[in-house]
Amino acid sequence: MRGKNQLKFLLPTLRERERYIAFKIISEEPVVYEDIEQAIWNVALDFFGEHGVSKMSMYVIKSLYDIERQIGVVRCNNKSVSQVISCLGLISRLGDTRVIFKILKVSGTIKGLKL
Amino acid sequence: MQAFDMHVHSSFSGGESSLEQLASMAKQLGYRGICFTAYPISKREESILKAEIERVKKEAGIEILLGFEARNIKELKFLAKRRGEFDVLLARGGDLKLNREACETPEVDILTHPEFERLDSGLDHVSVKFAAKNNVAIEVNFREILISNKKTRSMILKNMSRNVKLAKKYHATIIICSGGISHYELRDPKVLISFANQLGLELKEAKEAISKTPESIVKKIKERRSENFIIPGVKVIE
Repeated sequence: MRGKNQLKFLLPTLRERERYIAFKIISEEPVVYEDIEQAIWNVALDFFGEHGVSKMSMYVIKSLYDIERQIGVVRCNNKSVSQVISCLGLISRLGDTRVIFKILKVSGTIKGLKL
Repeated sequence: MQAFDMHVHSSFSGGESSLEQLASMAKQLGYRGICFTAYPISKREESILKAEIERVKKEAGIEILLGFEARNIKELKFLAKRRGEFDVLLARGGDLKLNREACETPEVDILTHPEFERLDSGLDHVSVKFAAKNNVAIEVNFREILISNKKTRSMILKNMSRNVKLAKKYHATIIICSGGISHYELRDPKVLISFANQLGLELKEAKEAISKTPESIVKKIKERRSENFIIPGVKVIE
């Protein structure tokens, strides 16, 4: 049940189509979610600018980040998948730790990622 | 998709990582093969490098190639004469004369970063036509973008897009390489495809640039190594 102050659900045809990109971080040391989120946003804003990022509907999902396996998920719309993957590739360091993002899977649902 | 990274520098050519580190990282990222690029070296060093590559090839479980990168026209002519002794011949772009010479030399497989340290794209329509005729692949080097930022990065992106546009127009082949000098500079093939997509290649073309183009180079190498090969275009038919 949605409250009085919440928006109604959009009609399915008006909703944005989402894509979830699962990635694995290969690094010298384990990295925390906050560093990853910060790095993804910084790189995206540097590379595509505020206007470009506004069209991506990008969101790094905190609840799906697994620190032990170093696996995380970024959500974006279906038209911005290659932009977001490019951004992940442009991250070479998180602080002093060198990292590589390995793209595991792109799916339309979280369930489809099979994390 | 069988991806290859055809331009990686190891500790033998000014890189930071050993052959093992690069090979294992490439395997982890899902590459089918990798090409260790070196600059022309003495016969003794070359034999050490070849022995190391043979050793790593057995351990890594991926295809490993040896490439030599010419830094000037003299080196290019020298390497073109010895073409049968190694797998891939690359020409280090950046110099306008070398770019043109590389495009006009059929022995060259890859012209690496033609826009390297230049304000322009380093290639004109005439050079690209020669590259298409001689089957010289024009490289899109990811490392150039990775290590640059702000104004420099945008200039490089502009020049790369221009080269991609010209290559598409004249049907020259494009190849995407990480150009890494460390195993932490290698990138997932999907990242390179997405990046090429940003430069103006269709997704299908970008996939071909990382799989089909290197595969055709590998095929050429195998043909050259076969007993029936005489010179390019001439072979013994049984």
